[in-house]
Amino acid sequence: MSEGGQAMTEMTAGAAPPRDRNAGRMRQLSWWERYINIIGPLVMIIALSVGMAVSQPRFFAFDNLMIILQDAAIYMVLGMAMTIVITGKGIDLSIGAVAVLAALVMAILIKDHGWGPYPAMGVALVIGLACGTLNGLVITQFRVPDLLATLAMDQIYRGIGLVLAAGLVLARFPEPIPFLGRGRIADLIPTAAIVGLIALAAGFVLYRYTWLGRYAIAIGGNREAAQLTGINIDRQKVYHYALMGFCAAIAGILLTGRLNAIQATAGMGFALHTIAAVVVGGTALFGGRGTMFGTLVGVLLLAMVTNALVMLRFQFFWQLVASGVIIIASIGFYAWVQRRQGTGGRGDD
Amino acid sequence: MTDQTPILQMRGINKSFGGLRALIDVDLDLMPAEVLAIVGDNGAGKSTLIKVLTGVHTADSGEIRIAGRPVSIRSRRESMDAGIAAVYQNLGLVDTLPAPQNVFLGIEPIRRILGIPFLDNAAMRARTVEILRNRVGVSLPDLDAPTRSFSGGQRQAVAIARAVAGTDLKVLVMDEPTAALGPEETRNTLNLVRAVRARGTAVILISHNLHHVFAVADRVQVMRGGRRAGVVSTRTATRKDVLGLIVGADVDEDAHV
Repeated sequence: MSEGGQAMTEMTAGAAPPRDRNAGRMRQLSWWERYINIIGPLVMIIALSVGMAVSQPRFFAFDNLMIILQDAAIYMVLGMAMTIVITGKGIDLSIGAVAVLAALVMAILIKDHGWGPYPAMGVALVIGLACGTLNGLVITQFRVPDLLATLAMDQIYRGIGLVLAAGLVLARFPEPIPFLGRGRIADLIPTAAIVGLIALAAGFVLYRYTWLGRYAIAIGGNREAAQLTGINIDRQKVYHYALMGFCAAIAGILLTGRLNAIQATAGMGFALHTIAAVVVGGTALFGGRGTMFGTLVGVLLLAMVTNALVMLRFQFFWQLVASGVIIIASIGFYAWVQRRQGTGGRGDD
Repeated sequence: MTDQTPILQMRGINKSFGGLRALIDVDLDLMPAEVLAIVGDNGAGKSTLIKVLTGVHTADSGEIRIAGRPVSIRSRRESMDAGIAAVYQNLGLVDTLPAPQNVFLGIEPIRRILGIPFLDNAAMRARTVEILRNRVGVSLPDLDAPTRSFSGGQRQAVAIARAVAGTDLKVLVMDEPTAALGPEETRNTLNLVRAVRARGTAVILISHNLHHVFAVADRVQVMRGGRRAGVVSTRTATRKDVLGLIVGADVDEDAHV
């Protein structure tokens, strides 16, 4: 910094040197304010943990913690891609239907056509990728807003799934599908959680160290600037949705394995639960900012709340009420922080 | 200055939008390491001229030369490739990204690991420090903070650094850089313009504010009704002369414009 200061003095020789180079700038963000997006849900996790430690020590039993991880696994996979989609100012409401469609085709190939599990899983992933790409193309080529496009595509995929499965429940699949969905590695760690954590780690790299994440931030943060820079926004958005579809297919396989059964009406709450976890984790709902670590925190928080409510013998549906309250609390908290930092007015100009 | 080849020459530029002739046989000469201000009323053709130069509009006729060599500018990309960069009034920064990532947005340095291209964030940071110091002449308080926490002048510095980073920069175009700034920020920005020139880059400055123009520019090109109304040196001409060219008559400097 001192070198820069020297250069400044040197170059302004002859011209009136500026009295204060930093005049008028907003005060520096302190470290906790910069990471506030994650601190909110972390504080909630700590509060919840303390509360449970007092009332239900069983909550921290190793087995219960593994159950929480197991529950969170699917949303880790979905949340990874959704973080990128939302950062790019998109949203995907069709992921439940895509997951189920991919899983159903896999199930039908195995049960009715005698396919082996691996080729069938491959087909499921291809279907997820194709559905996601189609979402992206509908949004970018027909200029349908992301929300409406994926809402409509959700209906379409769900409809196709219902036609294919004809109301049946397909059950009992060969390994490795149950192992992926509900198995434990070394009889300890849920396989699904490992898959979820790997997905998030890959997402972290994608977000920070590749064009995909960087351009998503640019598109969500200042679309015009992204365009002027020469970023092909349509192409990037198709990539986002393709990745989302691919991850939805993985989630579909995990879901099938977890119950060792799949039916066309499964996965109904995937989209909203995932969006909630991502937003609670500090990703801005209208794009331009997000973190993979925050998404992990958001997913874990929602899974812990669900688990705690079950343990405290609340009826399962209270979970919906709780996640609603958490979402409003988090977003309200961010809005308050934003106002306090005074950045509201100078967003992306 | 007259014995040098201009870094940028525009000759006989015409541009019409339907029946409206926005530019009529406009010439422009920019010398190396010079600040040329372009002034004029609204609709005088300043913006259109700059949009032709930056490839946003394509001229109907006319010639553009960079360092004596004719170039074809039909798109933003061709303009950038020719060494022309523009900093717009709204700066075009992604405010949620820190300065280095803004500076290298779209032109990220890459490091391959197992053949997979990863963004080289460390190189971006190092090169941004270097560009800010050597070509723009400022240091920023915190390179890792998102630019939304920066002041107007600092954001301007980032925008200029970005213009400088992308190309083998020959001409920097600044469109109304002081329009939305307070006095202190304005002073900083004008210093930035001087600093960029002192480091060898020619600058075209579009401004409404004659005080600012006379503070930093070497010459002033006045546009009126789509034509070049005149070019004057800020050393010999007065604000009154320029005002006269803008409105097309001799005026009292006291007259309210």
